[in-house]
Amino acid sequence: MPLIDLIDEDVIKTPLTSRLKYDVIMELLDVLKQAGKIGDIDQAAKAVFAREELGSTGLEGGIAVPHAKTTTVRDLTIAIGIAPEGIDFDALDGKISKLFFLMLAPPDQTGPHIEALSEIAKITQSSDFVERLQHAESPDEVLNLFRAP
Amino acid sequence: MKNPVQRILVYIDGSENSITAAQYAMCLSKAMAADLTALYVVNTKALNDLVRTRIFLQAEEEEYRMDLESDADRYLKHVTDLAAAKGIRIYTEKRTGSVHGEIRKAMEDTDADLLVIGAIAKIRSRRDEFFDETERAMRMVDKPVLMVKNEKRVLELYDLL
Repeated sequence: MPLIDLIDEDVIKTPLTSRLKYDVIMELLDVLKQAGKIGDIDQAAKAVFAREELGSTGLEGGIAVPHAKTTTVRDLTIAIGIAPEGIDFDALDGKISKLFFLMLAPPDQTGPHIEALSEIAKITQSSDFVERLQHAESPDEVLNLFRAP
Repeated sequence: MKNPVQRILVYIDGSENSITAAQYAMCLSKAMAADLTALYVVNTKALNDLVRTRIFLQAEEEEYRMDLESDADRYLKHVTDLAAAKGIRIYTEKRTGSVHGEIRKAMEDTDADLLVIGAIAKIRSRRDEFFDETERAMRMVDKPVLMVKNEKRVLELYDLL
């Protein structure tokens, strides 16, 4: 399933108001809660933080992809957050993270989960696209970047 | 002139569209007396990419690969059951690797005359064209490709078998 089919304005937040890793994850989970995408926010948080404990999902290039399998979502779900000033997310390169893709998937949707993460992985290889996303000032602008030819 | 379609390969990815494609392929198989093979590809290429980009830890890769292997077995059994219910013989094949690459190889290895795929999602950005594995397979194989649409009509045909 293309990433664009998973996102709408309700699941994009820019700028994020949080300044700490824990708070960023909770802020993005709250975005999903407000959008009606998740049921039990505590259960979702537990799954995401359990994954972070194994190793940070803060990648190189200012991108972080916190993710988890959880039964608190019925369908593959994603929230996008942008922090133009950057946040310390324990990234692999030690640098600050500005672009966040938080993804939750029900355990029985491994295939679509892999496809969506794979698309994010490919996006991370395009520094120009990432740069433009990191500077997007509104959810609409983010959506237009994903839709752009 | 002999029947131009003697061996059909249908690609299954677990989506509703791909199951519909399998049902239509069963209709074709029966009407044309053609051999039918269902293929599922465990996308280890994507898993490896996720490890390479460090989105996945090695332990995660193993966990998700096992999940995908289970999905493959489950969906191939499902289409086998659908075929058996109509008295149609279907061969199944599970492969690992890149989806479009393995579809192309399977077409060659089974000497299939026709590739049947489910309807693909509407292209909404240029990236979709590059990332949709089924579309890439459609463009790469050098045999006729049939994309199955209209689930309702296909179900009617399947029910009539």
